[in-house]
Formats: sequence, C-alpha cells, structure tokens
Amino acid sequence: MKYEIYSDYRNTDDYNVCDFISIGKKGAIPKRIVFTETELKDVYNLAFGDINENGEIDDCRISDNGDRNKILATVFYVVDAYTKQFPERWVYFEGSTIQRTRLYRIAVGLNLDELSQTFEIYALNNGELKPFYKNMEINAFLIKRKNFYLCVHGKSIKDQK
Amino acid sequence: MEKVLRIKSDFFDQKVTYTHNKELDKLKGRILAPKKLEEANKMLRKIKNWPK
Repeated sequence: MKYEIYSDYRNTDDYNVCDFISIGKKGAIPKRIVFTETELKDVYNLAFGDINENGEIDDCRISDNGDRNKILATVFYVVDAYTKQFPERWVYFEGSTIQRTRLYRIAVGLNLDELSQTFEIYALNNGELKPFYKNMEINAFLIKRKNFYLCVHGKSIKDQK
Repeated sequence: MEKVLRIKSDFFDQKVTYTHNKELDKLKGRILAPKKLEEANKMLRKIKNWPK
C-alpha cells in the first residue's frame, strides 16, 4: 500500500490500547485506538478517536487536521499488527456515523484485493454476515487473519494453534 | 525500563515503533468506549450465520 502512516505508538503491555499523535494543520492531536473484548469469544471491538480532556475516546469529534488518509492507514496498520499478535481474534468495527462507516467501506473496497490476501473480511448487514464485496450496503465489518501457514523445512504446515 | 518494539509492516513500506507505556497500563480493565462496545454487542447478538 502506498499510504503514509504514523509510526510512533505508545501501548499497553497487552496491545489493547495504542496511542499516537496526529500532526496536521491544527497542530498535534492525540489519538487512541482500543480493542475491547465483546460478549463473543475472540471477538474484539475496535474503537478509535481523539483523546478528550478527560482522557476518554471521543469518536464523534471531527478534528479536520488534514491527515484523514494517514490516520485511516495508521488504524489499519495497528489492526494488522494486532491480528498478527493475536491471529485467533476477530476485529469488529463500524463508524460512529453512517458517513464514517461509508468511508471505511470505500477504504476497504479500494484495497480489497490486497487486503483479501491476508484477511477474511465480512460485512454485517441487518444481522447477516456476508463476505465483503465492493459497494455493498453494510452496518459493520468483521475481520480476521486468514489461516496462516508455517514454513518448516521447506514444507508448509497448517498452524494448529 | 520501557519495552520498545520496532516492526516493519507487510502492507506499508515503513518501520513503526511500539513503546510500552506503564501509565497506559492503568487503563487496563476499564471499558474505554462503553457506548461503542454496547452497540457492537447488540449487533453481534443478531448474527445468525457465524462463519465456521
């Protein structure tokens, strides 16, 4: 992918919280990415947004810092690294507004060929989970790393973890 | 001592640095985006065709 990303993160030891700083026309804005366990085993909710004055995530704020694509790419990068660390985990995410969910849909759609090589990408629509395809109507995404193979002595074996 | 991890992404031609921050560890166990989690759980409960 040819996108620029932010490259300095501060994290918890379990990698469930990851902070970085957005630098743009409005200055430095602290951002936080959080993975939270849901009611379903191995499904983690992705939340992302500005860190507000109380130290909490504000995912509705429009920071307009002129670095939207860099931020989206950074969030994707962190998801990639997280699922590499925890390949058995699903990541659930949706936008805080319909417009943001649409933005994520477009971003995933634009890079679908490349992403599909590494991830199983599902879209949730009215309670039904379907493999994602470009321009489909969605409420949310669920993604997981594809079964990965270890190469041992020139042979590929399925990891049984 | 801070644990620093430098990784290169498969998707991006850039190296990144993860620095473990003990202050952030204090957030562990707290639900950091409760509304978002509630919405997610509501949506997840509706799924009838979980992939096998």
